[in-house]
Amino acid sequence: MDYQTLLPSLIIFAPTLGAIALVLMPKDNEDSLRYTALAVTAVTFLLTIALLPGYDISNANMQYVVKADWIPNWNIYYQLGLDGISLPLVILTSFISLWAMVASWSITKQIKGYLILFLLLETGMLGVFMATDFFLFYVFWEVMLLPMYFLIGIWGGPRKEYAAIKFFLFTLFGSVLMLVALLMIYFSSSYGADGEHIFDLVLLADAAQGNGLLGPDLQPWAFWLLFIGFAIKIPSVPLHTWLPDAHVEAPTPISMILAGVLLKMGGYGILRIAFPLCPEAVYSGSIVLVAIGVISIIYGAFAAMAQTDFKRLVAYSSVSHMGYVVLGIGVVGVVSVDGTGSDYWQMGINGAMFQMLGHGVSSAGMFFMVGVVYDRVHHRNINEFGGLAGKMPLYTGLAAGIFFAGLGLPGLCGFIGEVFVVLSAWQFNKALAIIAASGVILTAGYILWTLQRVFLGAEYKGPHEEALIPMLGREKIVASVLLVFAIILGVFPNLVFQYMVPSIEKLTDGMAGRIAGGF
Amino acid sequence: MEVTLNHYLLIGAVMFVSGVVCMATKRNGIAVLMGVELVLNGANVNFVAFARYTNLGLDGQIVSLFVIVLAAAEAAVALAIALNFYNNHQTIDIDQGDRLHG
Amino acid sequence: MDIKACLLTTAWLLPLVGFAVEVFGGYWSHHAPGGRFKSRLAAYLSVGCIGGGFLLSLTALLIGLSDFELSLWGTPEHGTEHAAAQFAVADTPHAAGSESHGDTDAKYVSGSLYELARFGNLRIAIDYYIDSLTLVMFTMVTLIATCIHVFAIGYMDDERTEDHVDHEVHTADGSHLHRPGRYYRFFAYLSLFCFSMLGLVLAGNIFMVFIFWELVGICSYLLIGFYVERHSASTAANKAFIVNRVGDFGFIIGLMILITSFGTFNFSSYNDHANSPESPGLFQMARDSHGQVHVAETNDSQRVINFAQPNGSHTSIPYWLLVTAGLGIFAGCVGKSAQFPLQTWLPDAMEGPTPVSALVHSATMVAAGVYLAGRFFPVFLPEVLLTIAYTGAITLFVAATIAVVATDIKRVLAYSTISQLGYMMLAIGLGGWIAGLFHLITHAFFKSLMFLASGSVIVGCHHEQEMPRMGGLRKKMPVTAYTMLVGVIAICGLAIPLHWVTGFSGGWDIAFSGYHSKDAIVATALTYANLNPIHSLLFLAPLITAGITAFYMFRLWFYTFAGKPRDQELYDHCHESPRVMTIPLVILAFFAMFCAIGGEGGPLFNLLGASETHVTDVAGSGIDLPTHSDIAQFHGQAGMLALLVAGLGALLAYLMYCRRQPDPALIKRQFAATHEFLVEKWRFDELYDVMFVRPVHVVASWFSGFDRRVLDGILHWIARTGVTVSAWDRKFDEGVIDRSIDWVAEKTQDVGRSLQAVQTGRLRQYVMFIALGVVTLFVLIFALFPLFLKA
Repeated sequence: MDYQTLLPSLIIFAPTLGAIALVLMPKDNEDSLRYTALAVTAVTFLLTIALLPGYDISNANMQYVVKADWIPNWNIYYQLGLDGISLPLVILTSFISLWAMVASWSITKQIKGYLILFLLLETGMLGVFMATDFFLFYVFWEVMLLPMYFLIGIWGGPRKEYAAIKFFLFTLFGSVLMLVALLMIYFSSSYGADGEHIFDLVLLADAAQGNGLLGPDLQPWAFWLLFIGFAIKIPSVPLHTWLPDAHVEAPTPISMILAGVLLKMGGYGILRIAFPLCPEAVYSGSIVLVAIGVISIIYGAFAAMAQTDFKRLVAYSSVSHMGYVVLGIGVVGVVSVDGTGSDYWQMGINGAMFQMLGHGVSSAGMFFMVGVVYDRVHHRNINEFGGLAGKMPLYTGLAAGIFFAGLGLPGLCGFIGEVFVVLSAWQFNKALAIIAASGVILTAGYILWTLQRVFLGAEYKGPHEEALIPMLGREKIVASVLLVFAIILGVFPNLVFQYMVPSIEKLTDGMAGRIAGGF
Repeated sequence: MEVTLNHYLLIGAVMFVSGVVCMATKRNGIAVLMGVELVLNGANVNFVAFARYTNLGLDGQIVSLFVIVLAAAEAAVALAIALNFYNNHQTIDIDQGDRLHG
Repeated sequence: MDIKACLLTTAWLLPLVGFAVEVFGGYWSHHAPGGRFKSRLAAYLSVGCIGGGFLLSLTALLIGLSDFELSLWGTPEHGTEHAAAQFAVADTPHAAGSESHGDTDAKYVSGSLYELARFGNLRIAIDYYIDSLTLVMFTMVTLIATCIHVFAIGYMDDERTEDHVDHEVHTADGSHLHRPGRYYRFFAYLSLFCFSMLGLVLAGNIFMVFIFWELVGICSYLLIGFYVERHSASTAANKAFIVNRVGDFGFIIGLMILITSFGTFNFSSYNDHANSPESPGLFQMARDSHGQVHVAETNDSQRVINFAQPNGSHTSIPYWLLVTAGLGIFAGCVGKSAQFPLQTWLPDAMEGPTPVSALVHSATMVAAGVYLAGRFFPVFLPEVLLTIAYTGAITLFVAATIAVVATDIKRVLAYSTISQLGYMMLAIGLGGWIAGLFHLITHAFFKSLMFLASGSVIVGCHHEQEMPRMGGLRKKMPVTAYTMLVGVIAICGLAIPLHWVTGFSGGWDIAFSGYHSKDAIVATALTYANLNPIHSLLFLAPLITAGITAFYMFRLWFYTFAGKPRDQELYDHCHESPRVMTIPLVILAFFAMFCAIGGEGGPLFNLLGASETHVTDVAGSGIDLPTHSDIAQFHGQAGMLALLVAGLGALLAYLMYCRRQPDPALIKRQFAATHEFLVEKWRFDELYDVMFVRPVHVVASWFSGFDRRVLDGILHWIARTGVTVSAWDRKFDEGVIDRSIDWVAEKTQDVGRSLQAVQTGRLRQYVMFIALGVVTLFVLIFALFPLFLKA
């Protein structure tokens, strides 16, 4: 077996192996447990980096393809693959997991269980991004759910049970809808001479864009079921209310993972499954997608402005920022029947993908920064901060950088995604594009106002002033790494675009062909 | 008067009913056994009579031979039970053996 | 790559390097000579970077002189452009589209540095576009920035301490705030700003302009909020950035329209790029080589503009859409250049240290709006230009009136900046492209000079900024006072018009830079008003405001430097600034005097003129833009009027503030309501607070409440319903299903128990049962069953 086929499985299951190793280790030596888990996430990250040299940028198709029988009776395969859409997200996942693990040093309760669940979660996340079999995708999707439930429910804040159950039920509700759609698609598929049913996403996509997969009566159902399932994860207004609670209660590293990676699964799912499999339904429903995106942007920004809990504010900013993702992938409607305009759609999807990556870095950073100060003073009331710039200058500098990335400042990661998405929207719907563009004012408003209340000013106004010690080495590393990546992504976006563009072009061309053909 | 099948059947029935009445009325275990024998032999008469008056061949005779053999075996077992019963209860009054009542 | 591009790119990146080093000053300054907070290293680095940038820009400018074959002296020929305009009328769109723009006589260099992204045919990159305007801007920005950096070495000197006392901030226990100095951080921000500003000027496409547009915005935010402890400073910083974002919102709409209609952001086709496809940029698409916009009418009587797309095909854009795009881009300029109605942030921005006000909020960043309006001039349609002109006219008047009553020395200058930016916008809107940018350059010199002089006063007076407490300072700080006077005369446009004496042609006026540039603007305005009498206001506003300008600028100077000291204690402690601060003043004063030497026949005017895009009037717009020859006719008349009005203003200021005849206090009492209204800055802040800020907060709380009450309410209702249903379910389970099963079991048991009696254990009885049973069965089968069957 060469490394091309071994590497993907190794990446997915390296954290599982690590978790098994942790099970066998004694639980009283906490540091060795932590270092082991850290080493596992670091190795996983290096393994994902090792994907890059063997990845052919110009090839838009699935690479690193692995296919093994799993449940052959029903054509279910253990099938993995990477293309320009999943590769950046896989790297983002292992990257954020690594730094979230470094941030996990502040966890002291039942550390062994925490680390094991953390690693299992990472397996689930990586699996979701790499699975190319719908059934396998679904399994990984569910695998990821349970560790998250426990991580919030056990290591969370005062209302952890409420938040964990809310998270779990929301996501489960979405998964059930997805399951229905999965079965619809499975039983509509027919592959080969004898018309077998398949779960293979690549073949299903080819079928959907070739002769059509689901009929016009069934396709909208499948699409909207899938979309609701994924929209919960993104999360889009009005399915977003689990997010603020989950974030507020989750421990810092889990918030980082939640915002940095989990939310991206929604966008990824739409791009990987809902879009290629239901092109016509996507096309006719794109105005709704765009509207949902725009509403999320504005709604999230307004709601963020009214928050007084620092973490809740950042959570709402995630709702707003992920709205750009829905908007960007929703501009499919710009493709006219004669096939023109697909450049803008590509711009939109690329912008949305970039926004996912950028938001992955910046929101993880923001949650980490909130966590740093929460660890010190144990409160998050924005109105009771102030003057941190004088007390923790380095912290303030790094945090300002990361928050500016969230604000969408050029040269940082948040800008590229937002601006490309908004630019692409004009051709589709002018009014919605203008509303989306007005988001820049609101975003600036709530972020700068927050910065002013938290960092600026003469004096710290809250309790535990004496605890405001400068950043620890570990914290410095996490924050600086995230900021550096925010800058790199912002200055050289083509580093990422070069991977994404061919695969997204393939997707848009395929779908545009189907759209041009009509039902 | 021609002896017909009905005559035999009548004898069989009388024997059978006598046996049943004997079983139902006698309290003596041996007498009950006798009633059993009467029932069995009443049946035997029927078997043989049917065999003779129909074209069933020797089937009836064979069955009645079986019944005789079984009755002998049964009698042996039953007498052994009666003996034991007597050993335990110092009587063979079967009304004493009502331990199995519900 | 072209040598000029190399030089300018280096000049652009140098301050970024400086920033990257200085931002960590808190760390490396431990080891620097002099100790942690004592070192001036950061300042030297920063001055070195920007000074190096200046030398490179100057070299590029000199190279550009020969490359672009620019002549510095003499008035440009006006005859040729008319011929071109005549010719252009007959031009068909098709011929214009297919016409290639040859490199041979190109007055610009454009190329690409690197690509940000490429989606299909859409390409977004970091480009450069260098023409004489770029070169002049680079040189001006780097020169002024160098002077201001040097000045800041002195001005920020009190930050070079471990225990800086901020007298503006009080802590909870009533004492002043003590904090470590932030000397290095100030210079880091300045360097970042210079990088961003130069990037904005160098930009070769409108998207890159937007990138650096935002970056200068954030630098402005950081610098205004430099004294982070002061609530007023951080609020002003927020206000500046958010108000700018309001303008940028329009900018983004403009960008959206441009990219979707034209498919490119580039200003112009590349001519300095090895493999670049020769695709036209926005300028070439919007107007043909004769400055003509091809307006046509479609079948459904919609006005459209025809142009050739990069791929060679001809297409069109609705007329209103291009107007909207222009207005969108201009909205960005309005925000950045603090034009009406977004002018409110600039006076508040004076919370920043004075060198920042000089560099960012007078000479460079705020002028970027004007620069962009000038740069994007070819794409603006007449309706847009008219909007620009009226915006400028309103701004220049409103700001000047507020400046008359302001007493904070920096705020007077801030309002004067807004007003002067209004002049520039007005000029551009009137089609006086060169006049506007000419004023941009001259204004940058004299306004930064005045800001630095005011900074010198502020330092000299120990951070006193209220003019009523000053007075008579010229004896204590002569250099500051007289360099300031140079600036005042320059901005007022006072001059000794020699050419009236010697005849109209030949002979120069003895005048400072501001005279020439303001003269050019007023002349353009007068010409415009003659060509389009309905818009006469566009001439009256700048003319009257010229008088107001002279009045409030001289008021400032008399208030501060002339007369008797009004606060003896302040006066006694006052001192002239050190040489590190006065030398930049002298240099800037030199440029404020002579940078526009020769006026409209001089080098600066000619340099800028080389970049002017010739535009012709658009049919159906109803507006005649003045040509150079038109303006020349009215020049003398306009200059005379302007000088007269300015002289009157200056005289009035002299009478009121030196002679007290009439007494300003008396006037203030008589016009108390007006005075109040002006002091309240026309109540824009209150208006915006009521119109926008509070509604936004209200909506925000609605949305947040909607989440909590409605969405979560629904969710909790569903959850509660679920719990209730499950409670019912439990009851049903326990009460109905379990009960019925139990009942069956009970009955079975009951039947069993009742049958117990039959089970006597008596053999004889059993025999009876058997017999009876047999008889019963017999009866059933043979008697009843046939009966049943029969029935």
